[in-house]
Amino acid sequence: MSASQKQPFLNKERRRILYAFLAGIVLFIVGEMVRPGFASPSGIRAILVVASFVGIVAAGQTFVILIGGIDLSVPWVLNAGAILMVTSSLGHDARAIPALALTLGMGAAVGALNGAGVALLGIPAVVMTLAMNGIMQGLTLGLSGGMTCTSCGAYAPPVVQAAVHQSFLGLPIVLWIWIAIIIVVSFLLAMTRFGRMTYTVGNNARASHLAGIHVSGVTIVLYALSGFFSALAGIMLVGFGGQAALGMGDPYLFQSIAAVVIGGVYILGGRGHYLGSVAGAISLTVLVSVLLAFNMPDYGRSIVYGIVILALLLLYGREEDSA
Amino acid sequence: MPLPETILAASGPRRSRLSHALTQNIGLALVVALLIACVILYCVLYIVTQHRLPGGFELTSTLNNTMPLAFAALAQTLVVLTRGIDLSVGGVIDLTNAVAALTLMGGPVSTTLWTIAILGIGALCGLLNGVLVAIGRLQPILVTLSTLSIFQGIAIRILPQPGGAMPPGFTGVLANPNVPLSLIYIPIIGILWAIFRRTPLGVAVFAIGNDAMAASSHGISVKRTTILAYMLGGVASACAGLFLAANATAGDATTGDTYTLTSIVAAVLGGVSLFGGRGSGLGALFGAFVTVMVVNILFFAHIDPLYQTFYEGLFLLAAVIAANVIGQIVRRRR
Repeated sequence: MSASQKQPFLNKERRRILYAFLAGIVLFIVGEMVRPGFASPSGIRAILVVASFVGIVAAGQTFVILIGGIDLSVPWVLNAGAILMVTSSLGHDARAIPALALTLGMGAAVGALNGAGVALLGIPAVVMTLAMNGIMQGLTLGLSGGMTCTSCGAYAPPVVQAAVHQSFLGLPIVLWIWIAIIIVVSFLLAMTRFGRMTYTVGNNARASHLAGIHVSGVTIVLYALSGFFSALAGIMLVGFGGQAALGMGDPYLFQSIAAVVIGGVYILGGRGHYLGSVAGAISLTVLVSVLLAFNMPDYGRSIVYGIVILALLLLYGREEDSA
Repeated sequence: MPLPETILAASGPRRSRLSHALTQNIGLALVVALLIACVILYCVLYIVTQHRLPGGFELTSTLNNTMPLAFAALAQTLVVLTRGIDLSVGGVIDLTNAVAALTLMGGPVSTTLWTIAILGIGALCGLLNGVLVAIGRLQPILVTLSTLSIFQGIAIRILPQPGGAMPPGFTGVLANPNVPLSLIYIPIIGILWAIFRRTPLGVAVFAIGNDAMAASSHGISVKRTTILAYMLGGVASACAGLFLAANATAGDATTGDTYTLTSIVAAVLGGVSLFGGRGSGLGALFGAFVTVMVVNILFFAHIDPLYQTFYEGLFLLAAVIAANVIGQIVRRRR
């Protein structure tokens, strides 16, 4: 890519976001053909609610992948967040606010520890977040007695359940929350000093350091944000299902990474937008729903899922030819 | 950021051969020290809780439990050395394990032929990964994340329920429950690795892991080397699937899943650098033994099994941090 070349409006990155959205729309049409009513307003709304959980996790994953990192601790930070939410609120609305603050604070603190390990101790992100996933899994299982504790069966506060299920101006409140997150995250990345620092660190951490950017500070904040969004997704999920369960975070690791990548965020960092991850989250969720509409068994979905991701990557995720 | 070994070796005064060999293989030296510490701690805990020395049974079961992970770690190492990562290790193990459960039931000849065919399946899986990475020009982590999903799906299609039975001869060779026969696989892996390291392919794998551009300008085909490394990794994963089936004396299309992450843990503990070009298969083998010994230690220390992953995670972090610090001190002293 030469700098003198005039950038068309639909540059490579924007095209990828467009493709990811188009893939989602095509899948909606396929679904409507297989099962009429699939793409009805209520059908679309139901799929978008499920997509929002992936999308919220993907927000955090986008932040860390933009600096060439990765967060493998998503499953058990999410699960710990869900369990902490129900056990600290015990289903009372009066306790909802402190429980929310506690849960989100836990997520951010765990994420910050990830960031500190990566930035200050020089541990590879894969190892740091993998170990943190194990640590959170052990703590969650141990402290909850394997989900046998008396408060573990508590329900999410009605307020939180209402936030997922009730509608406001025709849209479920959880989608309004997601829209707010999309606006805030996109603004943060595109318009602020913090966003520009994130892209700079992702492109070249050493040059950023020499240019006076506090690289470890940025890294810690980004991982903290990832932990925050994982915990938030955990809260949303207990609001959706009412109760917490063990293993509820497991699907979100693969899906969040896939969503980010399908949305055109470069896995080695420095390029991409959260809007792309949003498109990826929606496309993936529609894909799963379509496969369910085909009555495809588990193993078939697993195979098709992998093939579709590979096909999308081969379409537009290839590296420049260096040889 | 540590300087490449070659620059340091050229600049400093020459030390004795032993000291030189130690600093060149600091990762391997550290994992051996770690393994010895683990074995001692294990023996102490065993004597305290069981009031006798661990015997042949403990040795045999530890060996048999470790061999699948050892091969998985070897598979991971081959790919990580090229500056890649193989998340499909668990999927290949699932797939080969499932095929083994369905096919290994005839006589010795048929069992041998099917064993070779299963290794071929592993090579094919690796070929798919390698081609997508090298010729498809996709990032290894994304390719193998996708193929993991595909391999897991095929494995469940082949073997929906755990089952099948392993012929006694097969189990007797790969995971003999009575005698610590698996001991012989340690020198075999060591010798094979030493040979591999000296073949043109082995040299090329390390070269492209250190600097693909430089390797390419020295006439090494990066694409061919990458594909072959993934294929060898696939064969090693298939070995892991076979050893797992032999040890469980049955097949299961999901028990392999955990090996994706534990193979990374074992390789990292064994001194393999995730940034490529640094590490050894022997280190990964010892890393696998350390990983299994830690679980044994936690068991005999009467740690609540619910907390097991907590201590494993802490241990992994502590080991990586300690290796970083010691590595830096050793390099600075030269």
